[in-house]
Amino acid sequence: MELYVGLKLIWWALLGVLLIGLAVMVGMDMGVGAALRYLGRNDGERRAAINMIAPHWDGNQVWFILGGGAIFAAWPTIYATAFSGLYVVMLLLLWAMIVRPLGFEYRSKMPGTFWRNAWDWMLFVSGAVPMIVFGAAMGNMLEGVPFHYSWDMVSYYTGSFITLFNPFAVLCGLMSLALALYQGATMIMGRGTGVIRARAIRLATVSGAAALVLFSIGGIWVSQMHGYVVTGGLDPAGPALPLNKTVVREGGAWLANYRAVPWLWAIPAMVYLTLIGGVLVARRGMGIVAWWAGALAWAATIGTVGAAMFPFLMPSSSAPSQSLTVWDASSSAGTLGWMLVFAVIFVPIILIYTSWAFHVMRGKVTPESIANDDHAY
Amino acid sequence: MKAFLQFIFWIFVAFVALFLAIVLGERGAWYLAWVLGTVMIILIAVAGTVMLDARYEDEPLE
Amino acid sequence: MHALDTVVELSRAQFAATALYHFLFVPLTLGLTMLLAAMETIYVITGRAIYRQMTQFWGKLFAINFALGVATGLTMEFEFGTNWSTYSHFVGDIFGAPLAIEGLMAFFLESTMVGLMLFGWDKLSRGKHLLVTYMVALGSNLSALWILIANGYMQAPVGSVFNPETMRVELTSFTDLIFNPEAQAKFVHTSIAGYLTAAMFVIGISAFYMLRQRHVELAKRSFRVAALFGIFASIAVICLGDALGFINGEDQPTKLAAMEGLWETAEPPAGFNVIAWPNQDEQKNDFELQIPYLLTPLVTHSFDTPIPGVDDLEKTAAQRIRSGIPGLAALQHLREHPNDAAARAQYEAHKADIGYARLVQRYAPDVTQATDAQIAKAAADTIPPVFPVFWSFRVMVGAAFVMLAFLILAVTYSLRGTITDKRWFLKVAPWMIPVPFIANEAGWVVAELGRQPWTVYDQLPTWVSASTHSVGYMIFSLTGFVLLYTIFIVIEMFLMVKYIRLGPDDPHPGHGQGTPAGQGNRVSQWSEA
Repeated sequence: MELYVGLKLIWWALLGVLLIGLAVMVGMDMGVGAALRYLGRNDGERRAAINMIAPHWDGNQVWFILGGGAIFAAWPTIYATAFSGLYVVMLLLLWAMIVRPLGFEYRSKMPGTFWRNAWDWMLFVSGAVPMIVFGAAMGNMLEGVPFHYSWDMVSYYTGSFITLFNPFAVLCGLMSLALALYQGATMIMGRGTGVIRARAIRLATVSGAAALVLFSIGGIWVSQMHGYVVTGGLDPAGPALPLNKTVVREGGAWLANYRAVPWLWAIPAMVYLTLIGGVLVARRGMGIVAWWAGALAWAATIGTVGAAMFPFLMPSSSAPSQSLTVWDASSSAGTLGWMLVFAVIFVPIILIYTSWAFHVMRGKVTPESIANDDHAY
Repeated sequence: MKAFLQFIFWIFVAFVALFLAIVLGERGAWYLAWVLGTVMIILIAVAGTVMLDARYEDEPLE
Repeated sequence: MHALDTVVELSRAQFAATALYHFLFVPLTLGLTMLLAAMETIYVITGRAIYRQMTQFWGKLFAINFALGVATGLTMEFEFGTNWSTYSHFVGDIFGAPLAIEGLMAFFLESTMVGLMLFGWDKLSRGKHLLVTYMVALGSNLSALWILIANGYMQAPVGSVFNPETMRVELTSFTDLIFNPEAQAKFVHTSIAGYLTAAMFVIGISAFYMLRQRHVELAKRSFRVAALFGIFASIAVICLGDALGFINGEDQPTKLAAMEGLWETAEPPAGFNVIAWPNQDEQKNDFELQIPYLLTPLVTHSFDTPIPGVDDLEKTAAQRIRSGIPGLAALQHLREHPNDAAARAQYEAHKADIGYARLVQRYAPDVTQATDAQIAKAAADTIPPVFPVFWSFRVMVGAAFVMLAFLILAVTYSLRGTITDKRWFLKVAPWMIPVPFIANEAGWVVAELGRQPWTVYDQLPTWVSASTHSVGYMIFSLTGFVLLYTIFIVIEMFLMVKYIRLGPDDPHPGHGQGTPAGQGNRVSQWSEA
């Protein structure tokens, strides 16, 4: 196998890892933000919930920033086409994300009720909206997005803003939100006590079950929808130019990979296994096990989509032959190689100090402990 | 064991420092200047302020 | 105006507004993290509780600033893709890598450690907490390093080659990219400008306390750290500004001409325009006040090098446009007939100037039909707007020297121990806080407006770089940003002023429902120190 082909495959896998890291770590904080008004019925309880993730939200958010940066570095054509094509959606995501750091940092800096309630709702919006958009973006990738290129690789998006929120995309958005709520709830189970913990258990049960139902509906939908198939002209070792192949749309084509390689069915099965198991252990109050089950469920969900679409990354519904695939939308071999060197060195270091940070800040957080802590939010 | 790990850690730090000094000295003169300059300014600011306390040593502070 | 031009202009306005806004918070973060590390070092060395209180107090103000810096930084990462998609595709192979490495190497470190720095006071030993604070400082400055490596590429593209097959520049030497002299000088200059910003911030607020006779012991010590830190920073920032100007002047003669208001090539020894009133339409200065002989040694570091002025630069640009036109035509032909040897040869002969041909494409969509008037117009476009660049440069340099003088006095008074008696100085100091911020913003304008009309210098014109949005989309997003950012700055300033007024005694007035944080409480808190 040629080196360039291997590098593209590795970066396709790493893209998956980044999306999973983003979904699990950022999704967890967003789940807490979105469910804050439910988890805490008064200010003390809400502050306790916020301070369970307070030392980590900023570090977790870097998964999101790194995700953007890595797509730019490894898949520049996707970065350029997707971010500009989904303009209004991206802005909604961005604005919601901008409010979030301020919500965490500023909410408890003033004592007023109006002030704190306002920031609570900001945290709700900045938790729910990005997760819905994240899922909806995935849904749109499955359906294909109307874009094409001119001879000099200027991209044109020809759809409207509202088509990005079609029923299937909304379904995916809700699925993503449900998983985030589950992840946030299991986090709170681990570090909370009393009523907060009881509510978190209830939330984990409901959102885990909801995610399972939405995943099933989505799966049936995908099996019926028009997928994309490469019919020729695509060279895995070829240059990053998405204009020279031919692609057709075909009903049920997203199941082609599963038909060709039956053991791939293990990935969606994994979603069922982890979510059912997760809900069961969550009901027993085992927060940490439930959290890891949720993380695996995210990994399996993203893996299911990736396995269905391979080698597609971003199909074009208006000009299918200009769809972006793993083989023709990446960076050059040199850039992918250098990036891999940095990833291999720094990802383990990141994992070590992130674990250390969680270890240092471990322990239960209660409304009482917050009231006596001068450094808390 | 702890002492050994610390030893390994500092050896690692020393190697990184040597590596940086060699690479930066060769091609990244400005980067090297930044590293040395920053260390220098921090040390001077720290020393200068510690001096201030030495001067007020007699006065009770806390 | 053409609809496309409107979209490009709106995209530029949005990028400039969001970048300038983001850059209000960044330098303070870069410098304040270093100052916090210095303060905490003193705490660990002396073991005196007052330095712990000092680190925590400035840390609180740091956190208010940092939140908005992080929030608005998200915008920057998205905006290349959302608004500059053609640019992103063109440079993605090179530009994306430093951004991603910034995340891997720097931002993860900074953000994870910030959590421990702010929340881990009671959970970490002194030594470990100090290490964490240094990691925050290192992380934030490494962030700046990678961002400026990326920016350095826009200013002076190195280590890459244009690939006509993929229509983008591709990496040839990663080490050339990171050791780009432009990036090096820019990083050191920007980082140290951050140090200076933080020093002025701490000095101004400490002076306010001394003037009001509040927290005097803490203020005196904060003042001393910041003044010593700041004086070296101000000297360094001026020296590095000079070095950056020298490196940049060789890479970008058009920016240099705009900065100095040079309409005609300056034969040595040339005079330096201290102030002038540049008039771009007539290509002359309506008014100028010169110091004779100064300019040549100042910008060329020699006595006999001529400095190209606008007149000669436009001539060179016109030549390059003419040379680039057959190159662009050949490139277009090669896209459809990749095996045409004649077109390949023509492309190879003219490829260095293709970027210039795309400048004239704005006026002549089919460049082979471009008239002399259109070429002259495109050549005139290669000169950035002289007036704002010229004046931003003078504002920045002027501010730097004012701060240097101010800091010399600050250090003198602090070392003599007479600072608390110099009431006039204490009164001036808080009003000096905006000065470094103004200088930072002006510096951004010199660097980025002075780069126009290019997004990648000599290679990709700004007017082809933007995404193909409708005007409506741009108005929507611009309005959204203006609204949100205005609300944010109001809230941020409100909290900042509120916490400065409260001072270090009450670390957390937000804890309204808890026990009022009284003095006794504090003493027990710090008695362990």
